[in-house]
Amino acid sequence: MIRIENISAGYLNKKVLKNISCNIYKKDFFGIIGKNGTGKSTLLKIICNLIKSYSGSISIDDKNINSFSKKEFAKIIAFLPQYVDTSMPFTVSEFIMFGRYPYMNIFKIPSSYDYAKVKEVIGFLQIENLTHRKINELSGGEKQKILIAQVLVQETDIIIFDEPTLHLDIGNQNNILKILRDLNEQYAKTIILTLHDLNAAGEFCNKLVLIEDGCVCRYGTPEKVLNYKDIERVYKTTVVVKTNPISDKPYVIPVSKNKIM
Amino acid sequence: MINKKFLFVCAFMPALVFTVFLFSLLHGSIQISFLDMLKALFGCGVDADIAVIIKQIRFPRTLMACVTGAGLAVSGCVFQAILKNPLADPFTLGISGGAAFGATAAFVIGLVSITNFFIPLCAFIGMIASVLIIYLLNVKKKFNSNSMVLSGVVVSYIFSSAVMLMFALSPSNSVQSAFVWLMGNLSTFDERLLPFIIVVVITGIIILSLSGNIINVVSLSGEKSRTFGMDIEKNIKFLFITASLITATTVSVCGIIGFVGLIIPHIMRKIIGTNNIILVPTSAFAGAVFLPLCDTLSKTLFSPLLIPVGVVTSIIGGFFFIYLLFKSERI
Repeated sequence: MIRIENISAGYLNKKVLKNISCNIYKKDFFGIIGKNGTGKSTLLKIICNLIKSYSGSISIDDKNINSFSKKEFAKIIAFLPQYVDTSMPFTVSEFIMFGRYPYMNIFKIPSSYDYAKVKEVIGFLQIENLTHRKINELSGGEKQKILIAQVLVQETDIIIFDEPTLHLDIGNQNNILKILRDLNEQYAKTIILTLHDLNAAGEFCNKLVLIEDGCVCRYGTPEKVLNYKDIERVYKTTVVVKTNPISDKPYVIPVSKNKIM
Repeated sequence: MINKKFLFVCAFMPALVFTVFLFSLLHGSIQISFLDMLKALFGCGVDADIAVIIKQIRFPRTLMACVTGAGLAVSGCVFQAILKNPLADPFTLGISGGAAFGATAAFVIGLVSITNFFIPLCAFIGMIASVLIIYLLNVKKKFNSNSMVLSGVVVSYIFSSAVMLMFALSPSNSVQSAFVWLMGNLSTFDERLLPFIIVVVITGIIILSLSGNIINVVSLSGEKSRTFGMDIEKNIKFLFITASLITATTVSVCGIIGFVGLIIPHIMRKIIGTNNIILVPTSAFAGAVFLPLCDTLSKTLFSPLLIPVGVVTSIIGGFFFIYLLFKSERI
């Protein structure tokens, strides 16, 4: 379990997060939603130990994240940031192999187990046709799959994604989120992610936290969090919240205020 | 796949280096037959002049060309990874500016008249000074690639202004000598420095070849590298210092030989791929092929006149990039 207690953080004089507290349990599919600039990515980076200047504490299975060594931590949490530099023309399989870095020996030479793990993940994601292509020549959707493959070979129980569906079309968005759901359901991975798409958040996550001005506005199941009052207040827009007749999950429709009036 | 590439590195490339080495020994202002060269090398019954040319002039010069070419090419690989830019080279960070400043000072102040050792010594000190400045400027910025390039450009401008100032205030004969040195030259180095250079450069190349995967991961964005448990700043410092030391050692003796560190990793990346586990040693061998070939050209193009090898590498490098520009939209 990840216990987040009274996390406050900021940049220069601006406080981005104010006393954030919540628990993320094993096998949760945990979504963080909120307006742009409310500190969603900052919170993820604090959980991933990439930002050190904050107050409060984060523990994983009752062990403070600062007490793990860098290598130990990389075997517990894998993180896919919003931006990853893919300008160097590595082949897809070489690029995925970097995820095995925490497990490599002093000279960081991949072992036969590392190669087997990469092959297994390539098979799981069905990206065999991409393995010999250059990472910088792939489309957005293909690249995102490769980045997911890279975090999967890291063999961690917790995987964190910062906007994994950013800039993707609806088909690719759905495919990527289905992969994450499979990882959550079949491989018992704890998934934590930020999303701008409230419908995707409602459809795929089993827990959501809605952040408003750096504070937790609402925390719980999608049905509890995605209520029109909170959404309208946080996003400052008019919405209608309905239940998807097929999945029974809530979905949000933005409404043009002029038409209503 | 990796085994085929590994075979390429271990068998074909050393053979190519050896062939080019022999080729370079044979050609120069005077053409020497293969048999005479062998006799001269093994010290059995050959004309004394030929023996001197082969053993005392061409052998150390070609060896120096191989070592320098290998060192610059490997440094290029590392700087391209640190700066996340396939078009960077060992001089992008402006560390050659320090060498130019040091060497020019040695000529202008007149230290050369005491002993020629002052040229490499001053160039080395100047280069280490520029490396130190760039290092200190980037400690606070956590070795961010953009700030490294920016500080490199600034350091380079400051040192080149200082060189220009010295040129403006100095007698023309010392300016002429300094200018020739700045163009990169393999004909004037002191042979006694060769063992030292070989040890430093080869050790550096071995260390960097063994760090191939570290170089790979460093070339990703810093945030991503950290999630793999890598201490990114520590590794960038280690790679930057090792590659700079190799560059400083070769440049302080041979002058500024441009483009080797840029085009060799670039061409090798096209042939063998971007994986630095293979790319670094392959680039070392390719550099050890390229520079002796350029040196042979510099000896024979306007024979008996010798032109600085830096001029040849720059011309080839320039045309190569024009070719790349027209061949593909993406460099």
